[in-house]
Amino acid sequence: MPPSLRLNAVAFISPQNHPILIRTFSPQDDPIKYHYIAHTSLDVIEERVTSAGKSVECYLGLLYSMEDVAIYGYITPLRVKIVLALALSDAVVKDVEVTMIFKALHMAYYSAICNPFLKLEAANDTSSDISPFLLVGSPKWRKFRQRVDEISRVAGNATATTSAT
Amino acid sequence: MNSYPPELLAQLAPVMFVAGLDAPVAPSPSSAPSTTPLSLPSTSPPSASVSVSPPISTAGAQAKPTDAFTLLTLRLREALLSQRKPAIWNPEKSKSFQVILVDREVRFPPRKLVPPEDPAYGSAHSPLSPLTPTSPLHPDGLIAPIWIRKHTTLLPSVFVLFMKIFEYPPSSTRNPLDGPDTEREMEERKRDSELAADVALRKKSTNERGIKLTVVLMASRKMLDDPTLDARLTYIRRQSGLDSRAALFVLSPVSQAELGDFVKSLQQALYEPALEYYTAHSKRVRRKRNRHSQAASTYPTPPATLTSLNIARPLRPEGWTVRYEYKMACFAEFRGEDEVALKHYQDAYGQLIIMFGSTAILPPRTKRWAEAKVLADCMNVKVIKLYLYNNEHALALSHHNTHMRKFGDFSRGWGIGEETFEYWSWMARQQRILAELLEQGTRSTLVIPKHQPAASASNINLAASQQLLPSQRVAAGMELESLRSLGINPSQALQHPGFYYYMAARCTEIRRERFLAALELEHSQQPVALSPGFTNEKKVEHLNIILELYTKSYELFKKYNPAASQNQGRLTLWIAYRIAQTYYDSGKFDMAVRFFERIAKTYRREKWDSMLRPLLSTWYACAQQLGDVELSIRLLVEMLGHDIPEPEEAGSLEEDLLAVLKSTVPSTDEPLVVDFSESQPIFDSYVAFWSSEVKVNEPAAFQLCLTAPASVIISSIPFSSLQIHFFDDEEPVVIHHAPSEAEPSTSASTSPSIQRVDLGTISTAVEPQEVQANLRWQPRSIVVFTGMMTSDVPAVLRVKKLVLTIEENAWKIEIPFDACGARQGSAPTARWLSSLDPPRFIPIKREDCSSVLVKHRPHNVSVSLNHQSPAYLDEDYPIDIEVTNLDTRELDVVVDVLLQPTEIDYAINSIRIGEERSSGLIKDVDFGVLASGATVVKTLHLINTGAPGDRLIDISVRSRSVSVSENVDEDEDEDILDIMESLQALVVPTVEAIKAIYEVAYRHNLKQWVGLADLQTFEPGYWDEGRGAEALVSVKIQCTGPRRLYIESMVLEHENTPSSRILDSSTDTDGDDVYPVEYFPGDELGAFSCVSILAEGEEVDHSTSTPGRYIVKWRRILKEGGHGPLSTSIFPLPQLRPPNDDLVALLNVPPTATLHSPISLDLIIRNYHSSRSANVTVQLEPDTFDGFVVAGLRSGRVPVLMPGGEEKLTWKLIPIECGYVRIPRLKVLDRRKAVAAAQGATEGVTGAEAIGELVKVVDVRRDERRISGKEGDEILESQGGPDTILVLP
Repeated sequence: MPPSLRLNAVAFISPQNHPILIRTFSPQDDPIKYHYIAHTSLDVIEERVTSAGKSVECYLGLLYSMEDVAIYGYITPLRVKIVLALALSDAVVKDVEVTMIFKALHMAYYSAICNPFLKLEAANDTSSDISPFLLVGSPKWRKFRQRVDEISRVAGNATATTSAT
Repeated sequence: MNSYPPELLAQLAPVMFVAGLDAPVAPSPSSAPSTTPLSLPSTSPPSASVSVSPPISTAGAQAKPTDAFTLLTLRLREALLSQRKPAIWNPEKSKSFQVILVDREVRFPPRKLVPPEDPAYGSAHSPLSPLTPTSPLHPDGLIAPIWIRKHTTLLPSVFVLFMKIFEYPPSSTRNPLDGPDTEREMEERKRDSELAADVALRKKSTNERGIKLTVVLMASRKMLDDPTLDARLTYIRRQSGLDSRAALFVLSPVSQAELGDFVKSLQQALYEPALEYYTAHSKRVRRKRNRHSQAASTYPTPPATLTSLNIARPLRPEGWTVRYEYKMACFAEFRGEDEVALKHYQDAYGQLIIMFGSTAILPPRTKRWAEAKVLADCMNVKVIKLYLYNNEHALALSHHNTHMRKFGDFSRGWGIGEETFEYWSWMARQQRILAELLEQGTRSTLVIPKHQPAASASNINLAASQQLLPSQRVAAGMELESLRSLGINPSQALQHPGFYYYMAARCTEIRRERFLAALELEHSQQPVALSPGFTNEKKVEHLNIILELYTKSYELFKKYNPAASQNQGRLTLWIAYRIAQTYYDSGKFDMAVRFFERIAKTYRREKWDSMLRPLLSTWYACAQQLGDVELSIRLLVEMLGHDIPEPEEAGSLEEDLLAVLKSTVPSTDEPLVVDFSESQPIFDSYVAFWSSEVKVNEPAAFQLCLTAPASVIISSIPFSSLQIHFFDDEEPVVIHHAPSEAEPSTSASTSPSIQRVDLGTISTAVEPQEVQANLRWQPRSIVVFTGMMTSDVPAVLRVKKLVLTIEENAWKIEIPFDACGARQGSAPTARWLSSLDPPRFIPIKREDCSSVLVKHRPHNVSVSLNHQSPAYLDEDYPIDIEVTNLDTRELDVVVDVLLQPTEIDYAINSIRIGEERSSGLIKDVDFGVLASGATVVKTLHLINTGAPGDRLIDISVRSRSVSVSENVDEDEDEDILDIMESLQALVVPTVEAIKAIYEVAYRHNLKQWVGLADLQTFEPGYWDEGRGAEALVSVKIQCTGPRRLYIESMVLEHENTPSSRILDSSTDTDGDDVYPVEYFPGDELGAFSCVSILAEGEEVDHSTSTPGRYIVKWRRILKEGGHGPLSTSIFPLPQLRPPNDDLVALLNVPPTATLHSPISLDLIIRNYHSSRSANVTVQLEPDTFDGFVVAGLRSGRVPVLMPGGEEKLTWKLIPIECGYVRIPRLKVLDRRKAVAAAQGATEGVTGAEAIGELVKVVDVRRDERRISGKEGDEILESQGGPDTILVLP
């Protein structure tokens, strides 16, 4: 049976390490738990990025596993960090699959910040140029959330269908 | 780890007993010197327990001074004991022993309870066997720690006996020439026999158990050289029956380092026998296991009645298998064979799992069940450890996970599932022991792997392509690699022990929860089946355990996170938060508060308020418990800045705050300042200026907007005043609370209320007035403060900060916060309230709208530049700079002029204003203070030389307002000083006023050459013009500029050089009436000069200098008719380079002749060559005699011409015809090549050359050569018609 990738949570973190969006998909867990996980994984991400130097890859691999989740990390070229919490199961997690999910999430984020209306909302002092990207996670912009949820659903489903065949 | 018997966990190593190294006791005089120690062992009672028995005096200790040997003994003890420390993690394979010092008469534990003589011996079993009724394992135990202890402390694999060889005391009286010392030999033989007997006895007991015995004899250094030693040693060995190999050593007192070598070599030698010993054990156990498995049924099966009673039920076959496998694993571990040990442990573990699978075999909650559980846990640790020795992290973790999962499943079946504290206690113990094992491991050899994805996508492809290689071997090797590169199993990725400590702590937390739940059930008197461990559990200090585990985890996280060493790592903070929570739970609020303070700092900075919120509320709870009112207030105010997810609690914070304020009094009169600089503010606020820039003293309109939060109710918080700080060091504008008459009673849900407060005009000069406003905010209500700001100096205006004050019941709380801030990270959009009813906002789309720039009004200064373009070269070109103050203010004007460096070759330019000259910059030309309407003109002079082209001048006019600069310090910023600058760039085209065009022709000098050795040529001032040439220089001066010129003079300045000198010039002879003269554009003027040039020699170089220059002085005729300043143009003569000659014949005839009167025709043949002589023949052509009668040489050889020599030939001619008569043709031949041809060197010599080379005959009347071409290499000869003479009648 192919391993099933169950997404427990997804977190987008801005280059300045502020949370953009943290989505939780496991109803039994307190969402705050994934806030902590996203926050702590920044440590490992920073360590990986600094140790890799300039030739850093987007996909950072398994950051750590704690309690019942395995945390994977991804950093976009513009330093937005994406953290994925997978339900821990005793199976090999293929890097290719995780990378695929990350790429989909990255694209979702990318298309979300392309929204020109974000700039309208953003503060006009551009000294902190991050503001439009933080806004993308606000509940006002539903599309981004929907996309992330969709990715989570598809990631769970895709493996389910393969197991059925 | 402490919860398990150490015997079951420790790393096993071969055991070595060392006897005879008893710690020296104080020399007791009572010990009889003659006592033989041999009598002791036989009399000592048989005893199995021998760990430390009182040391007895060694044989021979009294025979000699013992100092050296005591030291040796002590050192040996130390060296041997330090070989190996009992440890759980010790993967070393250095052939070292676990050394145990024992008494030399130590007894081994009996194999069986009955003596061997007993007939029952054959059927009896070991005292530890479950089959022996007195055994603790009877009847169905598996393995007891005591069995391991037997093999690690009571039974060695090798036995080393240290003894002292007898040394006969040296007698000084003995003469070496005496015969054999029979007395000594006798004594020695006797002592040696005793020693051998002693050894033999020991040998007997070790042989029984297959233990290798080795004797080390200690002897003095002198003894080693004794010739009789070998014989004595052989004797001792034979007598005692020791093996021939590695059984007898001799050691003398040596240094520490050598002792180490000895210990090492001793272990090396004995390692093999030790392995054999354990192999023998393994073989024996394997035999038993095989026999048992074949005949499992031969063991008596218990009657069914007994089984149901759960008593005295013998061990099941599975149990026996566990026993044997476990033993074999242990023996393999003793031998250091990790792989074998691992396999046997796994087999044993597997069998044990089968046993646990059935409650019939192992009924839960019995003693045997508990023992088996401990055994399983320990075996799990062993398996993990052995995997980790081999760096098989994934396998190790996989085993551990499986162990926990399986036993978790079993636990459910045993009624101690996840809902019981026993379950979590056990889980915590498993996590903890793994963490401890890893921690021990990392201290020595274990390296925690990094889980960075080693393979990028390209690498995966690479791995995939390599898998397709035909070589199967490579593919097999790659398979594992590529699998690994595909991804890892997160649950099998080894992490540092901090994670497992953390997990243990989490499990313990759950354990505590379950325990508390059980406790509650007990209190509620519900009939519940309480587990037997419950009373014990009540004694457990759960929180202490949790704290201990978290603290360990915290330290490890700190250690493994290099980033955390500089600043607080987030992972460590997270654990610190857990620690703080635990402190809170255990009632140590002060400790918790200390932790919270540190953690909150980072969380605030990172704006992660979702994590900060629960932290703050716990912190607040702590503060409440501690009774720290100020801290409570601070935290409550800070919490106001965070949204509350539950809407029904929106007002709770406000209520709490009011309750605290009402119920307490402040400790001091000082207002309590709650600084919001790091945390989230209560209000969404922004400041907007209408325009981005205003002039000095012009009012700038602004609005300050405070929006109350939606999710937190602050409507009844008693804000008493709001201070708005605009400028530094100035009094703030204070808005006092005044309840408005028309209280906004409308429900907050419809639309947020907007209040507008006018602050009037604010300026540094005017004292700020006090304003009244309603400072109560309904949810989402907005207060907009509007006003104007002015400044009389240029500055950046903004709102520095806001301070809200809460006053209630003697409390005065000041809350300073930023004018632009927002609750949710990003600042809100700035909007301009344009209308209150209906509320309408205009968004301000401007960067940095929260500040306004105040600037000076610009100065109205006009600058004009007047000049008559173009400028001439060599001319002082005036440019008038005219500055007019068109402003109403008085302005101080200063001008800088910069002449840009030009890129034109040879152009050298300079500028001048007044007395100041420069080739680049003239700074600070003061134009003085210009009154309104005044004009100042200054002339800038531009002097251009060299080459024509455009010249660039930058003129910067700086004006300064006099009125401002008077009362402002000079060092102030430029903005304050009110200085403005206007820049003008000027391009001046420059052309040549006059142009000189030279033409040069060269001719031979006809003056007779002086002799080669003439003494006058050596005079210093001698001018040898003959051998040089004459240059005729003509110059054409053109007026090329666009305007008329007034030329005052033109002079050729003589500058005689070593190689040339001017003979005459036409300008010298011009009359005074020629100049001054007015030239129109296009006019030309000619002049000639004649220059004598020396022949080229060593000291003559024509290229450097010219013999003179024309100096033309002129003035520009201005438009209005006047004359400009006098300018001087200088035109140096061109460089004169006469062409070189070799052999030349100069024909000199008069131009005219009279019929029948004779004339002479001279031919001068000159050899200009500097080193070669010339052989020349001359012929007069006969067919041209028509016009003349010729007297002279017809054909002949000229004497050889030396280098630099000349020969003159003369003919007399009588013209016999009138008109232009051709002169006779002369042919001059250079015979140099002809001579060479005649001598046989005919190659390459043509017919013409065979006769000789024609030498050019130059008619001096037409001697003129011009040089053209770029390099001066092309010589143009003058081409006249046929050489004729005009013969007149």
